[in-house]
Amino acid sequence: MFLKDYISEVYNGVSSLLKGMRKTGYYFTHSKEIITEQYPDNRATLKLADRFKGEVVMPHDENNEHTCTGCTACELACPNGTIKIITKFDITPEGKKKKAIDAFIYRLEMCTLCNLCVAACPSDAIKMAPNFEHSVFDRSKLTKILNNPGSKIKEGIE
Amino acid sequence: MLSLESITKTTQDWLFAKFSPQIALTIECVIVILLAITLFAVLGLVLVLLERKVAARIQIRLGPNRVGPGGIFQTAADTLKLIMKEGLTPDAADKFLFNLAPFIVMMVAMLLLAPIAFAKNFQIWDINIGVLYISSVSSLSVIGILMAGWASNNKYSLLGAMRSGAQIVSYELSAGFAVLTIVVLTGSLQISDIVAAQENGWWLFKGHIPVIIAFVLYIIAVTAETNRAPFDLAEAESELTAGFHTEYSGMKFALFFLAEYINIFIVCAIGATLFLGGWMPLHIGHWENFNHVMDYIPSSVWFMVKTFFLIFLIMWFRWTFPRLRVDQLLNLEWKYLLPISLFNLLLVTVIAIMGWYF
Amino acid sequence: MNISSILFYAISALILGAGILAVTSVKIFRAAIWLLFSLIGIAALYFWMQVEFIAAIQIVVYVGGIVVLIIFSIFLTQHSGKEMNSPARSKKIFSALAALFGTAFVHNLIVHYEGFAFNSAKPFNPSVAEIGTQMLSTTSYGFILPFEVVSMLLLAAMVGCIVIAMRPANTINSEIPNSTTLVNNKD
Repeated sequence: MFLKDYISEVYNGVSSLLKGMRKTGYYFTHSKEIITEQYPDNRATLKLADRFKGEVVMPHDENNEHTCTGCTACELACPNGTIKIITKFDITPEGKKKKAIDAFIYRLEMCTLCNLCVAACPSDAIKMAPNFEHSVFDRSKLTKILNNPGSKIKEGIE
Repeated sequence: MLSLESITKTTQDWLFAKFSPQIALTIECVIVILLAITLFAVLGLVLVLLERKVAARIQIRLGPNRVGPGGIFQTAADTLKLIMKEGLTPDAADKFLFNLAPFIVMMVAMLLLAPIAFAKNFQIWDINIGVLYISSVSSLSVIGILMAGWASNNKYSLLGAMRSGAQIVSYELSAGFAVLTIVVLTGSLQISDIVAAQENGWWLFKGHIPVIIAFVLYIIAVTAETNRAPFDLAEAESELTAGFHTEYSGMKFALFFLAEYINIFIVCAIGATLFLGGWMPLHIGHWENFNHVMDYIPSSVWFMVKTFFLIFLIMWFRWTFPRLRVDQLLNLEWKYLLPISLFNLLLVTVIAIMGWYF
Repeated sequence: MNISSILFYAISALILGAGILAVTSVKIFRAAIWLLFSLIGIAALYFWMQVEFIAAIQIVVYVGGIVVLIIFSIFLTQHSGKEMNSPARSKKIFSALAALFGTAFVHNLIVHYEGFAFNSAKPFNPSVAEIGTQMLSTTSYGFILPFEVVSMLLLAAMVGCIVIAMRPANTINSEIPNSTTLVNNKD
């Protein structure tokens, strides 16, 4: 029936509008819902999500040891040549030669933070860090060496 | 007690005692004009800030919070920026009409201020056709928009102006019918009579469901008439850059912007007068004590609270609903609002004749 | 000369000046805007005469309705921004003569016809309730007949509009293939 359809149409329209207004009205009256980060002011307490990808870092433990074997899987996985690994050969106490990294060069200015290097790494030597304050006055400062000076590979990582 | 009524009365008596009637009248006119301009400037600053704050809260943001405590000087800073900016006139524009249009829009907004009762016995011009005056003069604002759209010589402006014209001309009808329901109940077009009729209860409460329907229709129609979202097709940013004021900059743009907010204030003031009793305090039946407490609140405060409540309602609409398409806009008016308001008017007439309201 | 007559002459100057500009303007949109100002001036004259109801109706009908329609039709026609050709000299002469004769006729009426008294003896009460009662009264000087005739006219116009707007579905369907074949033939 035409009139019944018409009235139910108007009723449905009004009720859906009211539903929307109830939602926004809830947000208006509940100030704790505000999600704005007042960034430079709250720098001390700023907490970013764990999955935030800001730059590639190589974690070192307290003995200044990392787990990078210098396999260059990340260098091959990188789509735009951001990573360059320079390897060297250490002499182990048994007199054998062992492959190790000399410098893990990471060019932040070329990185698209695509996470492919982290996914390719077989020994979980690198990861993404939630750091985003990268501005510097000189572009060359964005080229970083990720392994700490004097660091060596952790025992038992092949 | 110091009230706006006594201030105006003393001023008038003093002026008429000091000067000849004609000079006194001229001085009064100048005072009224200055007050109106001051009101406009203050309203512009306050409403723009309010809108940005309301928008921010509804979108779970903070809004302007850097200029002054809580960002209260943000709009003053914006105004300063607009004053400093160059008012460009496009080369191919019709320069005379292009420069005239913002003033037309502003003048119409100013004329609409005349019959509004801001407080008890505080009104610029208690014209005997009050409500009709408002609906007739507000139909002039479309001319300013059409003029701006055509004179800019820009396709976006022209399209925006055409849309705005179609929208205002059609929504005027249901706004008029919603106003008529109250006129039928009161039996007068005069604003002071309409307010006086609500002494023992506002029409929204006295008039049963038909008046509530009329109130909803009025709010929808005036939202469309003031070109506010969800009916802001005339300046739809995503399709028409800025609609009819695309080519305007600096102070000429500021006038359009200001006129939009003044128009919102005026339609909300009229809505508050018609449905919420204007400056009348809230009285409930026979609760004498409660009514006495309510009487102590000045009438101007009542008026402003009601008006700002309606303004908030319209802002709430703006930040909740998405924009309508042109065909949806016209469907809403001609298939829903107009038939409902016609039927509603008939119902209210029956109620008024039978005396079924309180 | 008091303020009232100064206002009268100012409003009259606005009406006449805007009217002359509306006739002489070579841009059609500007002509419409000048016509608008002329009509607003007439509304102002009604306000000056304190017949506010007529003034408001003047604004609603002429400014809000008719001029907006005129402007819309200007927008929808082509070359609305171009300057129009100036009309032929014979046209100019005849329109000037027509205006002159009209003025002379009205002037003659005002001067010689006794009915135009300056002060009407009947008390003039333009309240809205009075207007409403008069509009529907069936006694002498009541306006019920013209009111109803105008209502019928408006109703007929609305029915006509709906008939024009409601085209039967089958004609629309039959038109679509026709238009496509036309396009194909042109190609």
